[in-house]
Amino acid sequence: MFKELDPILHSQLRLAVMSLLIGVKEAEFTFIKEKTNATAGNLSVQVQKLRDCGYIDVVKQFKDNYPQTTCKITPAGIAAFEAYVKALQAYLQP
Amino acid sequence: MNTEKNLTEQESLRLITDMLRKAKGSYHETGIGPLLWGTVVAVASVVTFLERHYQFKMPFDIWLIVLFAIVPQVIISIREKQNAKFKQYDDDMIDSVWLVFGISIFALGFFQNTVPAASAKHFAAEGWTLIRHYTDGSQPDRPQTPMVLSFYSIYILFYALPTLVTGLTKKFWPMTFGAILTYGFFIVSCYVPLEYDMLLGAAAALVCWFIPGIILRTKYLALRKQHV
Repeated sequence: MFKELDPILHSQLRLAVMSLLIGVKEAEFTFIKEKTNATAGNLSVQVQKLRDCGYIDVVKQFKDNYPQTTCKITPAGIAAFEAYVKALQAYLQP
Repeated sequence: MNTEKNLTEQESLRLITDMLRKAKGSYHETGIGPLLWGTVVAVASVVTFLERHYQFKMPFDIWLIVLFAIVPQVIISIREKQNAKFKQYDDDMIDSVWLVFGISIFALGFFQNTVPAASAKHFAAEGWTLIRHYTDGSQPDRPQTPMVLSFYSIYILFYALPTLVTGLTKKFWPMTFGAILTYGFFIVSCYVPLEYDMLLGAAAALVCWFIPGIILRTKYLALRKQHV
Protein backbone atom coordinates (compact mmCIF):
# COMPACT_ATOMS: atom_id res chain seq x y z
CA MET A 1 0.00 0.00 0.00
CA PHE A 2 1.49 3.32 -1.06
CA LYS A 3 1.51 6.23 1.35
CA GLU A 4 -0.25 9.32 0.11
CA LEU A 5 2.16 12.09 -0.79
CA ASP A 6 1.87 15.20 1.42
CA PRO A 7 -0.30 17.56 -0.70
CA ILE A 8 1.45 20.60 0.79
CA LEU A 9 4.82 19.39 -0.48
CA HIS A 10 3.54 17.78 -3.68
CA SER A 11 3.44 21.10 -5.49
CA GLN A 12 6.25 22.31 -7.73
CA LEU A 13 7.08 25.65 -6.10
CA ARG A 14 6.50 24.60 -2.48
CA LEU A 15 8.66 21.50 -2.98
CA ALA A 16 11.36 23.64 -4.60
CA VAL A 17 11.33 26.04 -1.61
CA MET A 18 11.53 23.19 0.91
CA SER A 19 14.31 21.42 -1.03
CA LEU A 20 16.29 24.66 -1.10
CA LEU A 21 15.76 25.40 2.58
CA ILE A 22 16.73 21.91 3.69
CA GLY A 23 20.20 22.51 2.22
CA VAL A 24 20.86 25.80 4.05
CA LYS A 25 20.47 27.11 7.59
CA GLU A 26 18.38 30.08 6.48
CA ALA A 27 17.79 32.02 3.28
CA GLU A 28 16.45 35.40 2.25
CA PHE A 29 13.27 35.64 0.18
CA THR A 30 15.26 37.16 -2.71
CA PHE A 31 17.65 34.17 -2.72
CA ILE A 32 14.73 31.71 -2.88
CA LYS A 33 13.08 33.77 -5.63
CA GLU A 34 16.29 33.79 -7.65
CA LYS A 35 16.87 30.04 -7.31
CA THR A 36 13.27 29.01 -8.03
CA ASN A 37 12.69 31.53 -10.85
CA ALA A 38 9.28 32.26 -9.30
CA THR A 39 7.47 35.61 -9.29
CA ALA A 40 7.50 37.51 -5.99
CA GLY A 41 3.71 37.33 -5.66
CA ASN A 42 3.46 33.60 -6.32
CA LEU A 43 6.39 32.81 -4.05
CA SER A 44 4.96 34.97 -1.30
CA VAL A 45 1.68 33.01 -1.33
CA GLN A 46 3.45 29.63 -1.23
CA VAL A 47 5.81 30.72 1.52
CA GLN A 48 2.77 31.79 3.54
CA LYS A 49 1.16 28.33 3.01
CA LEU A 50 4.34 26.58 4.20
CA ARG A 51 4.48 28.88 7.19
CA ASP A 52 0.80 28.22 8.07
CA CYS A 53 1.55 24.46 8.08
CA GLY A 54 4.48 25.06 10.44
CA TYR A 55 7.00 23.76 7.89
CA ILE A 56 9.03 26.99 7.79
CA ASP A 57 9.68 30.01 10.01
CA VAL A 58 9.46 33.42 8.36
CA VAL A 59 11.15 36.43 9.95
CA LYS A 60 10.39 39.89 8.56
CA GLN A 61 12.68 42.75 9.48
CA PHE A 62 14.28 45.88 8.06
CA LYS A 63 17.87 46.00 6.79
CA ASP A 64 19.27 49.35 5.62
CA ASN A 65 15.71 50.74 5.45
CA TYR A 66 14.58 47.90 3.15
CA PRO A 67 12.25 45.07 4.19
CA GLN A 68 14.04 41.74 4.51
CA THR A 69 12.27 38.39 4.75
CA THR A 70 14.26 35.40 5.97
CA CYS A 71 12.97 31.81 5.78
CA LYS A 72 14.16 28.83 7.80
CA ILE A 73 12.94 25.24 7.79
CA THR A 74 11.45 24.02 11.11
CA PRO A 75 11.89 20.56 12.71
CA ALA A 76 8.29 19.79 11.60
CA GLY A 77 9.29 20.83 8.07
CA ILE A 78 12.33 18.54 8.12
CA ALA A 79 10.19 15.61 9.34
CA ALA A 80 7.56 16.28 6.64
CA PHE A 81 10.25 16.54 3.94
CA GLU A 82 11.87 13.28 5.06
CA ALA A 83 8.47 11.53 5.08
CA TYR A 84 7.75 12.91 1.59
CA VAL A 85 11.09 11.62 0.23
CA LYS A 86 10.50 8.18 1.83
CA ALA A 87 7.02 8.02 0.27
CA LEU A 88 8.50 9.01 -3.09
CA GLN A 89 11.09 6.24 -2.81
CA ALA A 90 8.30 3.72 -2.15
CA TYR A 91 6.58 4.83 -5.36
CA LEU A 92 9.76 4.61 -7.38
CA GLN A 93 10.92 1.21 -6.14
CA PRO A 94 10.28 -1.50 -8.77
CA MET B 1 7.97 28.16 -11.70
CA ASN B 2 4.43 26.79 -11.77
CA THR B 3 2.80 26.42 -8.33
CA GLU B 4 0.14 23.80 -8.65
CA LYS B 5 1.52 21.76 -11.54
CA ASN B 6 0.90 18.07 -10.90
CA LEU B 7 4.26 16.47 -10.46
CA THR B 8 5.08 12.88 -11.26
CA GLU B 9 7.28 11.05 -8.71
CA GLN B 10 10.25 11.29 -11.07
CA GLU B 11 9.71 15.03 -11.54
CA SER B 12 9.53 15.52 -7.76
CA LEU B 13 12.78 13.67 -7.25
CA ARG B 14 14.47 15.62 -10.07
CA LEU B 15 13.25 18.90 -8.59
CA ILE B 16 14.57 18.01 -5.11
CA THR B 17 17.97 17.02 -6.53
CA ASP B 18 18.13 20.18 -8.63
CA MET B 19 17.30 22.52 -5.72
CA LEU B 20 19.72 20.75 -3.36
CA ARG B 21 22.43 21.18 -5.99
CA LYS B 22 21.56 24.87 -6.33
CA ALA B 23 21.78 25.37 -2.54
CA LYS B 24 25.09 23.52 -2.36
CA GLY B 25 26.63 25.35 -5.29
CA SER B 26 25.78 28.82 -3.97
CA TYR B 27 28.72 31.00 -2.95
CA HIS B 28 28.67 34.11 -0.86
CA GLU B 29 32.43 34.26 -0.37
CA THR B 30 33.80 37.20 -2.35
CA GLY B 31 37.40 35.98 -2.16
CA ILE B 32 38.71 39.34 -0.92
CA GLY B 33 39.68 38.01 2.54
CA PRO B 34 41.90 35.17 1.26
CA LEU B 35 43.41 37.54 -1.36
CA LEU B 36 44.21 40.12 1.34
CA TRP B 37 45.87 37.63 3.74
CA GLY B 38 47.63 35.75 0.96
CA THR B 39 49.19 39.02 -0.20
CA VAL B 40 50.04 40.37 3.27
CA VAL B 41 51.70 37.19 4.57
CA ALA B 42 53.53 36.51 1.28
CA VAL B 43 54.90 40.09 1.13
CA ALA B 44 55.96 40.10 4.80
CA SER B 45 57.66 36.69 4.42
CA VAL B 46 59.53 37.64 1.22
CA VAL B 47 60.69 40.98 2.70
CA THR B 48 61.95 39.16 5.83
CA PHE B 49 63.81 36.71 3.58
CA LEU B 50 65.40 39.62 1.65
CA GLU B 51 66.37 41.38 4.91
CA ARG B 52 68.15 38.27 6.17
CA HIS B 53 69.68 37.23 2.87
CA TYR B 54 71.02 40.68 1.88
CA GLN B 55 71.77 41.83 5.46
CA PHE B 56 69.67 45.00 5.58
CA LYS B 57 66.90 46.28 7.85
CA MET B 58 63.65 47.94 6.88
CA PRO B 59 62.93 51.16 8.81
CA PHE B 60 59.94 49.34 10.40
CA ASP B 61 58.97 45.76 11.21
CA ILE B 62 57.34 44.48 8.00
CA TRP B 63 55.08 42.15 10.04
CA LEU B 64 53.23 45.24 11.28
CA ILE B 65 51.30 45.10 7.98
CA VAL B 66 49.57 42.03 9.44
CA LEU B 67 48.18 44.26 12.22
CA PHE B 68 47.05 46.89 9.70
CA ALA B 69 45.31 44.20 7.61
CA ILE B 70 42.98 43.38 10.52
CA VAL B 71 40.97 46.60 10.02
CA PRO B 72 39.99 45.92 6.36
CA GLN B 73 39.39 42.25 7.27
CA VAL B 74 36.85 43.22 9.95
CA ILE B 75 35.10 45.55 7.47
CA ILE B 76 35.11 42.83 4.77
CA SER B 77 33.67 40.24 7.20
CA ILE B 78 30.87 42.56 8.36
CA ARG B 79 29.96 43.48 4.76
CA GLU B 80 30.01 39.85 3.59
CA LYS B 81 27.73 38.85 6.49
CA GLN B 82 25.35 41.73 5.72
CA ASN B 83 25.23 40.95 2.02
CA ALA B 84 24.92 37.17 2.40
CA LYS B 85 21.49 36.10 1.17
CA PHE B 86 21.68 32.72 2.86
CA LYS B 87 23.54 30.98 5.63
CA GLN B 88 24.87 27.45 5.49
CA TYR B 89 25.00 25.08 8.47
CA ASP B 90 28.79 25.03 8.64
CA ASP B 91 29.33 28.82 8.32
CA ASP B 92 29.55 29.42 12.10
CA MET B 93 31.97 26.53 12.55
CA ILE B 94 34.28 27.78 9.78
CA ASP B 95 34.19 31.33 11.23
CA SER B 96 35.14 29.94 14.67
CA VAL B 97 38.06 27.98 13.21
CA TRP B 98 39.48 31.15 11.57
CA LEU B 99 38.93 33.21 14.72
CA VAL B 100 40.80 30.62 16.82
CA PHE B 101 43.55 30.56 14.16
CA GLY B 102 43.89 34.37 14.33
CA ILE B 103 44.12 34.35 18.13
CA SER B 104 46.64 31.48 18.06
CA ILE B 105 48.86 33.21 15.48
CA PHE B 106 49.03 36.34 17.66
CA ALA B 107 49.70 34.14 20.71
CA LEU B 108 52.58 32.54 18.77
CA GLY B 109 53.96 36.00 17.98
CA PHE B 110 53.74 36.89 21.66
CA PHE B 111 55.53 33.65 22.60
CA GLN B 112 58.26 34.26 20.02
CA ASN B 113 58.91 37.81 21.26
CA THR B 114 58.67 37.09 24.99
CA VAL B 115 60.31 33.73 25.62
CA PRO B 116 63.95 34.57 24.62
CA ALA B 117 64.21 37.57 27.01
CA ALA B 118 62.31 35.73 29.77
CA SER B 119 64.61 32.70 29.34
CA ALA B 120 67.74 34.92 29.51
CA LYS B 121 66.44 36.33 32.82
CA HIS B 122 65.84 32.85 34.24
CA PHE B 123 69.32 31.74 33.18
CA ALA B 124 70.85 34.86 34.74
CA ALA B 125 68.91 34.22 37.99
CA GLU B 126 70.37 30.69 38.03
CA GLY B 127 73.82 32.18 37.45
CA TRP B 128 74.59 31.00 33.91
CA THR B 129 74.29 32.28 30.34
CA LEU B 130 74.34 30.97 26.79
CA ILE B 131 77.62 31.50 24.93
CA ARG B 132 78.15 31.51 21.16
CA HIS B 133 81.28 29.44 20.56
CA TYR B 134 82.88 29.19 17.11
CA THR B 135 84.34 25.70 16.72
CA ASP B 136 87.03 26.89 14.28
CA GLY B 137 88.15 29.60 16.72
CA SER B 138 87.70 32.31 14.07
CA GLN B 139 85.85 34.58 16.49
CA PRO B 140 85.95 34.98 20.26
CA ASP B 141 83.14 33.51 22.38
CA ARG B 142 80.31 35.93 23.12
CA PRO B 143 77.02 35.86 25.04
CA GLN B 144 74.04 34.62 23.05
CA THR B 145 70.41 35.59 23.61
CA PRO B 146 68.25 32.44 23.79
CA MET B 147 66.22 31.82 20.63
CA VAL B 148 63.70 29.34 19.34
CA LEU B 149 65.29 27.69 16.31
CA SER B 150 63.38 27.49 13.00
CA PHE B 151 60.32 29.00 14.66
CA TYR B 152 58.71 30.06 11.38
CA SER B 153 58.09 26.34 10.69
CA ILE B 154 55.42 26.45 13.42
CA TYR B 155 53.72 29.36 11.63
CA ILE B 156 53.74 27.38 8.37
CA LEU B 157 52.17 24.43 10.22
CA PHE B 158 49.48 26.76 11.60
CA TYR B 159 48.74 28.20 8.11
CA ALA B 160 47.76 24.72 6.89
CA LEU B 161 45.34 23.93 9.72
CA PRO B 162 42.32 26.27 9.18
CA THR B 163 42.88 26.08 5.43
CA LEU B 164 42.52 22.29 5.41
CA VAL B 165 39.43 22.43 7.68
CA THR B 166 37.81 24.97 5.32
CA GLY B 167 38.84 23.07 2.19
CA LEU B 168 37.50 19.74 3.45
CA THR B 169 34.29 21.14 4.99
CA LYS B 170 33.38 23.31 2.00
CA LYS B 171 34.68 20.72 -0.46
CA PHE B 172 36.79 23.49 -1.98
CA TRP B 173 39.72 21.56 -3.47
CA PRO B 174 42.08 24.55 -4.08
CA MET B 175 42.28 25.13 -0.30
CA THR B 176 42.60 21.40 0.45
CA PHE B 177 45.40 21.09 -2.11
CA GLY B 178 47.08 24.28 -0.81
CA ALA B 179 46.97 22.99 2.78
CA ILE B 180 48.44 19.61 1.81
CA LEU B 181 51.26 21.38 -0.07
CA THR B 182 51.81 23.55 3.02
CA TYR B 183 52.30 20.46 5.22
CA GLY B 184 55.03 19.54 2.72
CA PHE B 185 56.55 23.05 3.07
CA PHE B 186 56.49 22.56 6.86
CA ILE B 187 58.53 19.35 6.60
CA VAL B 188 61.03 21.00 4.22
CA SER B 189 61.29 24.05 6.54
CA CYS B 190 62.47 21.79 9.38
CA TYR B 191 65.63 21.02 7.38
CA VAL B 192 66.54 24.32 5.68
CA PRO B 193 68.07 27.50 7.23
CA LEU B 194 65.63 30.01 8.78
CA GLU B 195 65.80 32.52 5.91
CA TYR B 196 64.48 29.88 3.49
CA ASP B 197 61.63 29.14 5.92
CA MET B 198 60.47 32.65 5.03
CA LEU B 199 60.28 31.76 1.34
CA LEU B 200 58.40 28.56 2.21
CA GLY B 201 56.02 30.67 4.33
CA ALA B 202 55.43 32.99 1.37
CA ALA B 203 54.74 29.96 -0.85
CA ALA B 204 52.31 28.64 1.81
CA ALA B 205 50.45 31.99 1.88
CA LEU B 206 50.15 31.88 -1.92
CA VAL B 207 48.85 28.30 -2.17
CA CYS B 208 46.63 28.43 0.96
CA TRP B 209 45.00 31.82 0.44
CA PHE B 210 46.11 33.87 -2.56
CA ILE B 211 45.41 31.31 -5.31
CA PRO B 212 42.15 30.03 -3.73
CA GLY B 213 41.24 33.72 -3.27
CA ILE B 214 41.67 34.37 -7.00
CA ILE B 215 39.52 31.30 -7.79
CA LEU B 216 36.79 32.41 -5.33
CA ARG B 217 36.87 35.97 -6.67
CA THR B 218 36.58 34.77 -10.28
CA LYS B 219 33.60 32.53 -9.37
CA TYR B 220 31.97 35.33 -7.37
CA LEU B 221 32.31 37.86 -10.20
CA ALA B 222 31.03 35.33 -12.77
CA LEU B 223 27.95 34.63 -10.60
CA ARG B 224 27.33 38.34 -10.11
CA LYS B 225 27.48 38.88 -13.87
CA GLN B 226 24.83 36.15 -14.36
CA HIS B 227 22.51 37.87 -11.89
CA VAL B 228 22.75 41.40 -13.30
